[in-house]
Amino acid sequence: MSRALTFHIFRHTPGNPDSVPHLQDYSLEEAPGMTLFIALNRIREEQDPSLAFDFVCRAGVCGSCAMVINGLPGLACRTLTASLPPEITLLPLPVFELIGDLSVNTGKWMRAMSERLETWVHLQGEPDLDAVEAPMDPDLADEIYELDRCIECGCCIAACGTAQMREDFVGAVGLNKIARFRLDPRDRRTEPDYYRVIGDDAGVFGCMSLLGCHDVCPKGLSLQTQIAYLRRAMVRQGLTGPTRCL
Amino acid sequence: MKIFYTDVLVIGGGLAGLRTAVGVRRRGLDTLILSLVPPKRSHSVAAQGGMQASLANGVKSLGDNEEVHFQDTVRGSDWGCDQVVARLFTHMAPKAVRELAAWGVPWSRERQGERQAFINGEAVSFQVPSQAHGLIAARDFGGTKKWRTCYTSDGTGHAMLFAVSDQAIAAAIPVHERQEALALIHDGDRCQGAVVRDLVTGELRAYLARATVMATGGFGRIWGVSTNAIINEGIGQAIALETGVARLANLEAVQFHPTAIVPAGILVTEGCRGDGGLLRDVDGHRFMPDYEPEKKELASRDVVSRRMAEHMRKGKGVKGPFGDHLWLDISVLGRAHIEKNLREVKEICQYFLGIDPAVDFIPVRPTQHYSMGGIRTDHRGQSPWLQGLFACGEVACWDLHGFNRLGGNSVAETVVAGMLVGEYVADFCASPGGQIQISTGLARDFLRREQAHLDHLLAGPGQEDAIAIRQAMERVMTDRVGLFRKGPDLEAAVTELRELLVRARRLGVRNPHPGANPELVLAYRLPRMLKVALGAALGALARTESRGAHYREDYPGRNDRDWLKRTLLHWPEGSDLPVLEYEPLEVRAMELPPGFRGYGARDIRDHPDTAHRQAEVDALRGVGGEGDMSITQVDGVPSLQERLMPFHHLLPARYQGPNTRSSAPVNV
Amino acid sequence: MKSAVPLSLSFCPARLDAIQSASGLILALFMWLHMLFVSSILLGKEAFWTVARFFEGYFILGRPFPLLVSLIVAAILALVVLHAVLALRKFPADWHQYRTFWRHAHRFPHSDTRLWLLQVITGFALFFLAPAHLYQMMAHPEMIGPYASADRVWSGHFWPLYLLLLVAVELHGGIGLYRLALKWGWFMGKDPARSRQRMKRGKWILTGLFIGVGLLALGAYIWIGIQHADRVGERYTPEWAKTETADETPLQPGPLLGSDARFAALADPGHPSSIQPAAEARP
Repeated sequence: MSRALTFHIFRHTPGNPDSVPHLQDYSLEEAPGMTLFIALNRIREEQDPSLAFDFVCRAGVCGSCAMVINGLPGLACRTLTASLPPEITLLPLPVFELIGDLSVNTGKWMRAMSERLETWVHLQGEPDLDAVEAPMDPDLADEIYELDRCIECGCCIAACGTAQMREDFVGAVGLNKIARFRLDPRDRRTEPDYYRVIGDDAGVFGCMSLLGCHDVCPKGLSLQTQIAYLRRAMVRQGLTGPTRCL
Repeated sequence: MKIFYTDVLVIGGGLAGLRTAVGVRRRGLDTLILSLVPPKRSHSVAAQGGMQASLANGVKSLGDNEEVHFQDTVRGSDWGCDQVVARLFTHMAPKAVRELAAWGVPWSRERQGERQAFINGEAVSFQVPSQAHGLIAARDFGGTKKWRTCYTSDGTGHAMLFAVSDQAIAAAIPVHERQEALALIHDGDRCQGAVVRDLVTGELRAYLARATVMATGGFGRIWGVSTNAIINEGIGQAIALETGVARLANLEAVQFHPTAIVPAGILVTEGCRGDGGLLRDVDGHRFMPDYEPEKKELASRDVVSRRMAEHMRKGKGVKGPFGDHLWLDISVLGRAHIEKNLREVKEICQYFLGIDPAVDFIPVRPTQHYSMGGIRTDHRGQSPWLQGLFACGEVACWDLHGFNRLGGNSVAETVVAGMLVGEYVADFCASPGGQIQISTGLARDFLRREQAHLDHLLAGPGQEDAIAIRQAMERVMTDRVGLFRKGPDLEAAVTELRELLVRARRLGVRNPHPGANPELVLAYRLPRMLKVALGAALGALARTESRGAHYREDYPGRNDRDWLKRTLLHWPEGSDLPVLEYEPLEVRAMELPPGFRGYGARDIRDHPDTAHRQAEVDALRGVGGEGDMSITQVDGVPSLQERLMPFHHLLPARYQGPNTRSSAPVNV
Repeated sequence: MKSAVPLSLSFCPARLDAIQSASGLILALFMWLHMLFVSSILLGKEAFWTVARFFEGYFILGRPFPLLVSLIVAAILALVVLHAVLALRKFPADWHQYRTFWRHAHRFPHSDTRLWLLQVITGFALFFLAPAHLYQMMAHPEMIGPYASADRVWSGHFWPLYLLLLVAVELHGGIGLYRLALKWGWFMGKDPARSRQRMKRGKWILTGLFIGVGLLALGAYIWIGIQHADRVGERYTPEWAKTETADETPLQPGPLLGSDARFAALADPGHPSSIQPAAEARP
């Protein structure tokens, strides 16, 4: 016996002057193995061709389809409707610029974050591509990969109390990236360099440890541990660094 | 009218496009990337299992080098590839891995001491010597002689894409996201840029450039079920085709991956089998050794997929609500291995199937996965028919893969081609051909044409339903242009696709909003997808042989005599069908003359030059077949490589150095 | 995200963050101890009398110095002010931010996020409740004793303040301590997720316990206060001590807070206390 699902979907296209934000209802019969990817596409194909949403990989690895699903930020593509009650409310991620309906501009936000935190390996000169690579402890490689698994989906920002209030807060995604590069011996930056980018209230000290990020992260990253670790390191740097204050 | 100017316009923000842009920026050129989605969401991210490069660090990789990799690649391609390109590629792959390592990719590393592995259904163990400790590890993949696939767990594409994308940000390369190229601006000889639609505002802009690089990925989404991301709709190939002059090649060469989950069609990596996973049928029987006693589950992808389909045809598939499937069993690898090296696979099983692969079998069947064909380019990545148009990555037919691509060679191709094409594009820009008199009049004409087309869609009288036509196209491709192909089916496919294309010219769009409007997007993409589909069907119909992934049941043998050639396709303006031409592969120039791949029974009609060339190569190589394969001359004497098939001179100067290996002693 | 703000290498934020946490930690731990001391009334009047005298140095110095209590209270008050000022940085800065957060907490079913809202509200309440109490204690350090305190609670109409203060401070401190552990990664062990669950459970149990004990203690003061309502001003002295000192309070006011000051404070008609100065209550 399949359920009749009712979707309450946020509709608004900021670029369209006639558009007014509202929730629109759609009914759909549930099918076995139905994900929100399948459901939304069926709604678009059968009921409303104007409904805007983003999917790319539809396999839970690209981070495009993050949205607020019955209050919780998550990846729509891998959310089975069977895991939800028959009333399903879908909202776009907050904080990010709205493009239309469920589609938000995470790319712009993430790029600005990357530029600000310089989320790349800062090399010391050109690598010699002909030579045998520098060895790395296998455990360290695994640890770096563990932090490298962030897909920049934006769920942590949507779940972050600070990010709601402070537009300039780098969020768990940014802090996790710094944790990742700090761990990476190939990045030549030192502690004061990291402090420079996250040692303020828009960075690690802005985090209030509400851990919405940790609890919604689709990749299960250890954000709780990483941010605490980073906070300790940055306080250490702040307390032992130059004494300029204010 | 907004016009952007740059030196090198890169269309596509995946690995190939990003790496090209980083390269040209390093050469001091201005560059700009257009992307449908934020670059880190590109389909490159979905590459799981790894990237092939002959580093030869591990015990099971010892003795590996560019030549072994080259030979595997050529055999894998069923001799359909460009061997010079394959040589350039295998030379570059170790450099690419090492560059990525420097850029922060956390490649999984070798660990000294006893190593447990699962090979051919049995647990084995061997010693990893201390010299190898901490060097980049490799896993086994199908169709390879050595363990050559470098990986980071099963998130290799993700780690690579993020590292390269971050380097592009470091180089301050602008990425214009949510932009879609609708047409290439050209005058019939020279490509000058593209007309681009902003997917948020709907505004059209012109991007004018000295060189335009297409890096838009494959066209898997013209099939109903594909492992491809949903943005892989072949629009890059289509707009090249719509120039009327640039050629596409080998669109019929389409790979079906053996292990996509049923019904979602999401890929689980070849690394599953590389690490020791097994394929089982309805009875739980491991059937691959019955068909391919030597390589078993690790035969080339085209072979495994066909054997699976064959086995299901015998009634050995598992019946399910979504059709037959087989089982992939990785439970044999143990939970610890799965949770460390196959964690994306585990997540996919958990979220999409509700199963635990450490306990349960995974339902899989062959599914459309990769397009070996695409925009035909020379080894520099440039279209020989339209100056200033370059292509690299899956969108291109560079032709590294011929008629079947080895697992781990595509994600490697993206970065390697990016490294090389970046240099070649920069060289082109520095050459007289790279100078250009930008014609804003031409840009204006193209803009007007595209705007008129969109206006017509939004306001025109069309009544046809795009979604119905799209579904019909997907059905045709799945039913008639799939794993097994037959003349009558392909003829029907061509007929039906032509009808659909005619109908697709009369599409109706109900939502009149010119900005973010998914209905409009489908309406202008669909005819382009149909053109690519038609190209693939037509190419498959014409090619009356079986080669690699292209398998004709009515022509099951490989026919080198008549078909050792590349299908070229162009679409003259005003024509309702593309035109096929052929480009022969020169046997007389091959380092590895055509031979038997070793799967099933030998069924090859030889090319008349094969025996002659084989004798030549044997003579050059001497009795033992071994020789100095240095890529360039040694002590003033041309090396064997130079005499067999020189390629060194084609490499950019910065990449000419030989690759060093750790040469850890054998200690099995 | 909003484009980069100019980043200066100020080492202030690290210090402010550390100080906020440290002051919060001290206050929360003090608050727990304080609750234990106050609850000693449940063990009997003498027990509380002993605790009160102990802090006046009675058992070390031989006679009570309420000034010591004033000093401790002053230090706590200073910490409260410091903590409040630092914590203000995290408060919603304007109505817009407040509403955004409120909506977020409303939409997002996440207990730690909602707990923060509770922390903000209780913190805000404590801005007013805590100084009122602390100032009272600082100004009248000698007015701590089984009868004096009970009279203040009941006859002085302080019990509503104490009731609110009790709930606010226990919630605020409990959440704060839990948050501190998460913030700095304390006691996380091998399995941080489980540790967090355990800690959260423990936090609620402790908060519940302290509120429970606090309510009982407050009830006890109210009970004593009611019994003692007709003898307001009378001070408690244990039987054994009656020969040594006639009263629970020193005969002489502390050197800093002269009796004038005390009288002045009490003469304020708006002052919630109507307790007679101790000196007058002497038998």
